[in-house]
Amino acid sequence: MSQLTRFLERNLQNPSLRLSAIQIRHLSSQAEEEKSFDDEEFRVLNLRPTQVQRQQRRVYKKDEPQPPRTKVMPVDQDWPNVWPGPRTFHPASVPLPLRQGFTEKNAPPPSKYGNAELMKIPNFLHLTPPAINRQCEALKKFCTPWPKNLETAEKWEKHFPVEIVKSDYCHALPSVRQPEARKVSLKIKLSNLKFDKHSKDKFLRLVGDRYNHENDVLTIQTDRCPTKKQNYDYAQYLLTACYYESFEVEDWEATKSLADMEVYEFEHNKSKISTEAILNWGSSGDKKKVDPGFAKSVETLINEGENEYNLKKYKEESKKLLGLK
Amino acid sequence: MLIRQLKQFPRALSHFSTVAEPAQVKLEHFRTNESTVSSQGSQHIGRFYRIPLEERKQLFTHGGLPKSFEKQAKTFGEVCVMVREPAVEIIDYIKSSDLSRPVNRFVLHGDDGCGKSLTLAHVLHYGLQNEFVLVHVPWVPNWFKRPKETANSSTHEGFIDLPFDSAAWLIHFKTQNANLLPKLNLKTTKDYVWSKRETTPAGSTLLELIEHGINRVKFASDAITALLSELKQHSTDGKCKVMVGIDGYNAFFHDKTRILTENKAKVTPDKVTLTKPFLDITNYDWTNGVCILAVDRIALTEERMESSLPRYQLGKEGFEHCDPFIPIKVENYSEEEFENCIAYYLDRRWIQNVTEGFDNELKHLSAKNPYNLMSVCAPL
Repeated sequence: MSQLTRFLERNLQNPSLRLSAIQIRHLSSQAEEEKSFDDEEFRVLNLRPTQVQRQQRRVYKKDEPQPPRTKVMPVDQDWPNVWPGPRTFHPASVPLPLRQGFTEKNAPPPSKYGNAELMKIPNFLHLTPPAINRQCEALKKFCTPWPKNLETAEKWEKHFPVEIVKSDYCHALPSVRQPEARKVSLKIKLSNLKFDKHSKDKFLRLVGDRYNHENDVLTIQTDRCPTKKQNYDYAQYLLTACYYESFEVEDWEATKSLADMEVYEFEHNKSKISTEAILNWGSSGDKKKVDPGFAKSVETLINEGENEYNLKKYKEESKKLLGLK
Repeated sequence: MLIRQLKQFPRALSHFSTVAEPAQVKLEHFRTNESTVSSQGSQHIGRFYRIPLEERKQLFTHGGLPKSFEKQAKTFGEVCVMVREPAVEIIDYIKSSDLSRPVNRFVLHGDDGCGKSLTLAHVLHYGLQNEFVLVHVPWVPNWFKRPKETANSSTHEGFIDLPFDSAAWLIHFKTQNANLLPKLNLKTTKDYVWSKRETTPAGSTLLELIEHGINRVKFASDAITALLSELKQHSTDGKCKVMVGIDGYNAFFHDKTRILTENKAKVTPDKVTLTKPFLDITNYDWTNGVCILAVDRIALTEERMESSLPRYQLGKEGFEHCDPFIPIKVENYSEEEFENCIAYYLDRRWIQNVTEGFDNELKHLSAKNPYNLMSVCAPL
């Protein structure tokens, strides 16, 4: 008997054998016979367990959506209180029949509800004229009166040629530090500084691309020191140092050759020699000087680049120089 | 009574003229009889004048006219050149200038096909008629782009000679000045020793010097150097007048040529013996002469063709060499010049199938560019 059950168990462990199942059924009928024979109860081997009744899922009842807030808004409400700061568009808070977006032909654009197009774009609903007015009123008590005799932009520039741009940041974060806040930029028009020819050239080389040729403004931006104060001092130092350094003349500056010249200068070029030679041809007396008009026309022709106008000017001047018509 | 007589007058005049010259046909409006260049003036601008056969042979047998133009002229059976503004301008300058002053340099510039070479040819014709010794280089890049033969210079270390091209140029020079040189009877001022046995002693004529260069091709380049320096000397002394006309002048200042040395290294123009004498003669340090230099985009290689203005074309070196010069711009045809050119083509039966508005169409097709007009009209 024990052998038989062992066999049975082994077979049961391999459910893929269909044949064994038949054998088992056969054996179980034998067991029933034994049951009647012996009153002791056996455990029932239930090969197909009866299905447990599935519990019915609880149906969650959704709350009915509230009607949009716009329905209950009074007409004379205080709008800056409803929309106090910059915020993404919300259809239920804005009592306007807005529509936005692309649709099929002949259909109206989608309404404001669930409209991603309206949420994507920045809005200025917090900057209505009354809101701005209110903020200005609030700020007024911090303002001081405008200084006298500084009414026009020319006057500002005359009395305060240096312009400093700093920025402060204010936000609700655990840290009050903002890395951008340490940056300081200093702007000055170069016409406010006194230079000679050499120092101006050297100064421009020292400052490099910080100088804007178009509006004559030098901008020094400093951010290498940790605090704003230090950066401000550093910018002041840089301006002063560059200015005085540009007046220094080093020994090696004397070795500047024609090829190193940044602009063409008639004085130092072969053209001057040949022009003077032509002017003073055959005369041993006092030397004739080249007409500055001609020198200028050659300089513009080369420095500004060649074009019809400059060439025409050059032609006129050289005709005058060579005494033609 | 008087009025009636006046009215009859033109008829009488025409009557007389037909009697006097029965063969002469009426001159078309686009032509001028004035083949003496010095008497051409602004009233002739836009008209064609014929270069007489003799002078044409003397001037342009060995080059000087653009090839396509020469071909067309052959078809037409005459060489007619339009009197145009730049040439008249230069000739006026030459007439009004003081030749005892250092030479004036005129630089012709303009877009492709505007007529720089023909302007130069026109001025050369003036030079021929007014007894200038002509130093004319038809097209400099020929030397640097397709030389006939190259050889190492025996006199200048590291330089390259172009013997055949030099000899050809000497022949060209000899032909152009065939009438003038015997008349002027210019003598060499110093001895030229070519080799142990060959010398040209001081006091021999320039023609002998030229002949030597032509016969002994090996020394042709050096003969040119000698000839040009002699010419400079003589004209400064006032014995002759010299007109220098160089087409494609900017090729002298370009940084490359197609000439190779024995080691297959490319030669720059300043290492060619011909460059130096021609740069010397365009320098300002002599008198009694005039230089007309044409700069051309095509004289350079492709990377240097952006602009046709003289400073760009000459480069820094070339500009300094020529400065101060007078830039002369050669432009496309004006309205009147264009009409005259069309009338001339019609007269030569070069344009035959004429429909209404054809000239307007041609104007837009060619953009009034002389060369374009010529090539557009070729198949008509």
